[in-house]
Formats: sequence, structure tokens, C-alpha cells
Amino acid sequence: MIRVENLQKRYDDFEIKNLNFEIQSGEYFVILGPSGAGKTLILEMLARLTKPDSGQISGLDGQKISLIYQDYMLFPHLDVFNNIGYGLKIKKADKEKIEDEVVKMADLVGISHLLHRQVTSLSGGEKQRVAIARALILKPAVLLLDEPTAALDLSTKYKIQRLLIKLHRRYKATFIHVTHDFEEALALGDRIALLIKGRIIQIGQPEKIFSNPKTRAAADFLGYKNVFSGEIKNSKMNVSGAKITTPLKQASSAYIAIRSNDIILSKTRILSSARNCFLGKVIKLIHRPSFIEVLVDIGPVLHVYITYQSYLEMNLTAGDEIWVTFKTISIKVFQH
Amino acid sequence: MKLRIIFSLLGTLLILFILVPIIRILVAVEPADVVSSATQKEVIGSIFLTLRASFWSTLAGIFLGVPLAYFLARAKFFGKKIIEGLIDIPIVIPHTAAGIALLMAWGRHSLFTRLTGINLVGNEASITLAMIFVSVPFLVNSAKEGFKMVDIRYEKTAITLGASPWKAFSTITLPLAKKSIISGSIMMWARGISEFGAVVILAYHPMTAPVLIFERFQNYGLKYALPVAALLIIISLVIFIILRALEDKR
Repeated sequence: MIRVENLQKRYDDFEIKNLNFEIQSGEYFVILGPSGAGKTLILEMLARLTKPDSGQISGLDGQKISLIYQDYMLFPHLDVFNNIGYGLKIKKADKEKIEDEVVKMADLVGISHLLHRQVTSLSGGEKQRVAIARALILKPAVLLLDEPTAALDLSTKYKIQRLLIKLHRRYKATFIHVTHDFEEALALGDRIALLIKGRIIQIGQPEKIFSNPKTRAAADFLGYKNVFSGEIKNSKMNVSGAKITTPLKQASSAYIAIRSNDIILSKTRILSSARNCFLGKVIKLIHRPSFIEVLVDIGPVLHVYITYQSYLEMNLTAGDEIWVTFKTISIKVFQH
Repeated sequence: MKLRIIFSLLGTLLILFILVPIIRILVAVEPADVVSSATQKEVIGSIFLTLRASFWSTLAGIFLGVPLAYFLARAKFFGKKIIEGLIDIPIVIPHTAAGIALLMAWGRHSLFTRLTGINLVGNEASITLAMIFVSVPFLVNSAKEGFKMVDIRYEKTAITLGASPWKAFSTITLPLAKKSIISGSIMMWARGISEFGAVVILAYHPMTAPVLIFERFQNYGLKYALPVAALLIIISLVIFIILRALEDKR
């Protein structure tokens, strides 16, 4: 188990403040946070490349740790084969062993056909595969991944994610992966630590974090697009004229957040147990890669995600009147 | 398009400014005179001495200057700007003044000579010293820029892959900065060959080629200086064209 205690580090204009967390061995641990949150710095400290100002990291003594930087850092003067074999060559492994292991590793990550290419001629996804192979060939106990898919197009990103899942299963190493992409965190992490401005705001299983952001900043970052503030009186918050029923009775000043997936759109009013039902107007339809984002004006503007199928069946266009329904229990409330 | 035309015209002026004197010398000189001076022992001896001393100085520059360049590229410390300014001093001060300063530091009455008994005036070692002093900034600055261009994360990656800091330096950083180091070394060597001011004060004899040209010009006039000057220009040009070509080939 890796234990990080009271870790502090100041670097140029940002700061890691009093970091505490534990990572189980063999876990896929994701540190999720916006850029500039100090994620790379944490990895460099775990890799013993940068010394913390104070605090300690235990459980890594004598362990082999590999770090893959965001822009791969493939050695530009070596070809793919020699990049992957670099660590073995440093260890003075004999030639046949290097050859054998590199070929096996390349096959595992799907780049056998690239072994004699110059690394500068590779695509982003290929480079990332080489970087992963180069790190894993040493069979590290801990693999640190710094935004491994940030520079990749969508389909390559999904392929690399699948590769990481496969390699994590196969090597049973501890993977510590930092990213700003909450969908990636959700897809890969056994547990997620949410890091905002150098502090861990929340830590836990992905679903729990996503369904229960603890602060407004966390909700914003986790992709909650419907976040409103105001006074709650008799369980209602008046948001630009829409009286939203909240799970909290009274609060002089609070935030409420509603997930875009938790809102139902309908052409007619739905009679149901849901306390919140408003008539609104569609103002915009945005085509996202895997869903449609509908902006509905009910006083405030709500962002609602629906499937492409629903969009077609409902025949939605901007200007349509539409009913919006969501349950009170699905509203997250944060008080100041 | 206009911008390019104007800029290329201005560039042409500069190139002509450099080329015309060289062509003038090569045209003015009698080929027979160049051949005959190429067979004079004194001339050949001075040209080889110049090439050799500059080569020694460049080796010393690589041995001491490359580590310094790496240190300056990587380390952050108070007073770094002062050290960087210090490196440039030999470029800034007149080379005759540099020669006098070197004479004070390494001459017959210097502490060094009194303690060791080693004479550093009027021999090949003194020529080498003068050349190091005036030309090492070219190597250090070029190597420093080369090291700066190597992302430190390459070294960190090598270290996480099991390399020691020495191994990371020799297998990653050095090969990646090689071009700048080689190009800086060529510049240093070239600058050493052309050095006159500092060398003439530390060692009038044995005569390097620039001193020999000066001496012939002074004592016998233009006609006698010209063939040697032409010969040195031809040899230098040939060597540097070859070196640059090899450098580009890498």
C-alpha cells in the first residue's frame, strides 16, 4: 500500500497543500482535476524525481516505478525498438533477451509493425503505445500515467483506454493515472481522487463521487451544468422565476446541482412522483459525440442530455415548447 | 513578396561585403607564389602549428566547457547571470588586452611559473592558452543552448527507466545536444585559428600563421604577405566546408 501523508510542495505559481491519501497495491487509482491543479507534480514526487517540501510518501521503498509523461518523452534519437529496450539495455540484459522481450512487449501493445521506425514519424496513439511498452517492459510495481490520452483524438483515446484496462489486468501493477477528463476517470478508475487547486476535495469510488459532489467546484468540474444558487424557503429555491423543489427545507444561501442525465423531456406534462415539472422552450440543440445536449429555458436555462434516438423520435427543434421533469431527490445541495 | 525582395537585397549586400575582400586576395595573388610559399618550411610549420594549437584548445574547451554548459543550462542559482556574463568577457574585451592579462597571469613572473617552473610564454602551450581564452565562449554558449533545448523530462524518464544520472546524461542528453556541441567546437576551433591579438603577445615565436602574415606584411610588405594570407584562407575554407558538410550529414 502506498501512503501519502501531509504532502506539501510549492512550485512556481501553484501549490500542493497537505495531501493525504492511500492507494492499495494493484489498484487503478485516478487523480482527477483541472489543469494547473498540480497533478504532474504529484506524479514526479511519487516517482522520486522531485522532493516534497514536507510530508512523506511511504510504501514505495525499493519498488520499481515508471512514469509516462503526457507528451510521451520518447527519445528522439532512438528508434522504436531501442526506446522500448532502453531500460533493459541500461540493466545490461543480454542482446537476445532484449530482442525477445521487446518483440513480446511490442506485440502486446500492438506495435510490432513499427519496431524499426523513427519515433518522430509516429502518430500520437502510436507514440503512447511505445511509451507504455517502454515503461512496462521493466515490470514496474507502480506505473504513473500523466494525462495519457489528452493529446489524442476520440477514437484513439478509447483504444488507449482499452489497452490500459487490459494491461492493468495482466500486470496487476498499481496504476496511478492523472487526468482532467472525468469520463476517462469514470471509465478507468477503481477509485478517484478529485484534486482541485492543490487539494483533494473527494476520494472514493467513481459512481459515488459523480453522484455526490461535495462542493460547487467539484460539481462544476464533474460536468454538472445545472448549478444554481439562492435561498431555500419551504423546500423551494426561486431560480429566475422557476420555483425548484429541493431536498433541503431551509437555507439562507445554498447551491443546487442537477445532473443533465437526470432530467426528462416530454411533449406533454407527465403525471408522476417527480416534484419538479416545468414548461419550457428549446433554445438550442448541440450534437455531442454520443448524445444530444438540449438547452431548455424554464426561467434559468437547463442543459439536458438525451440520446440521439430520443431526439429523432421527439422530432425536436429550437423554439419547441417542452416539459421538463426531474426528481427532488436527484438534486444535490451544497451549503456555504 | 516585397518584404522578401528587400530582405534578400539587403542580405546580398552583406554577403558581397564578406566575399569581395576574399575574392580580391585570391585574384590578386599569383598562383605560383602560393605554391612556392606552400613549400616553404616556415609557412607550412606555422600553418600546422596554428591548426594544432587550436585543436588542443578545442579539446580543452570540450573537457571543461561542456560540463559548465550543462550546469548553466540546468541549474538555477543566485548569480547565474554573472557567471554567464563572465563567460562572455573574452568576446567583449580587445584581444591584445586579453593577451596582456594572460601574460600577467601565466607569464615568466607569474605565481604559476614561479611555483611550478613551467614556462607558458613563447611556446605552443602558451598559444593554446591564448586560444582557449578567446574562443571558449563560442563553445560554451553553443553547448548551453543545445542542452537547454533538451527537455529535462527526457532525463527524468531515463532515470525512471533505471538509468543513473550519469547514464541519463551520456545516453540521452549528450546525444541530443551533440549537434550544438559539435557546431560550437567547430566555431571554437575556427576562432582559435584566426586569433592574432592575444597570441602575438603571449607568443611571437613560434609564429602562428596570423602572426607570420603580420610579420611579413610589417617587414617585407604586401607582396610577401599576400601568398601566405591566400594560402591560409584556402586551407581554412576547405577545412570548414568539409566540417560543415560532415555536420549536416549526421
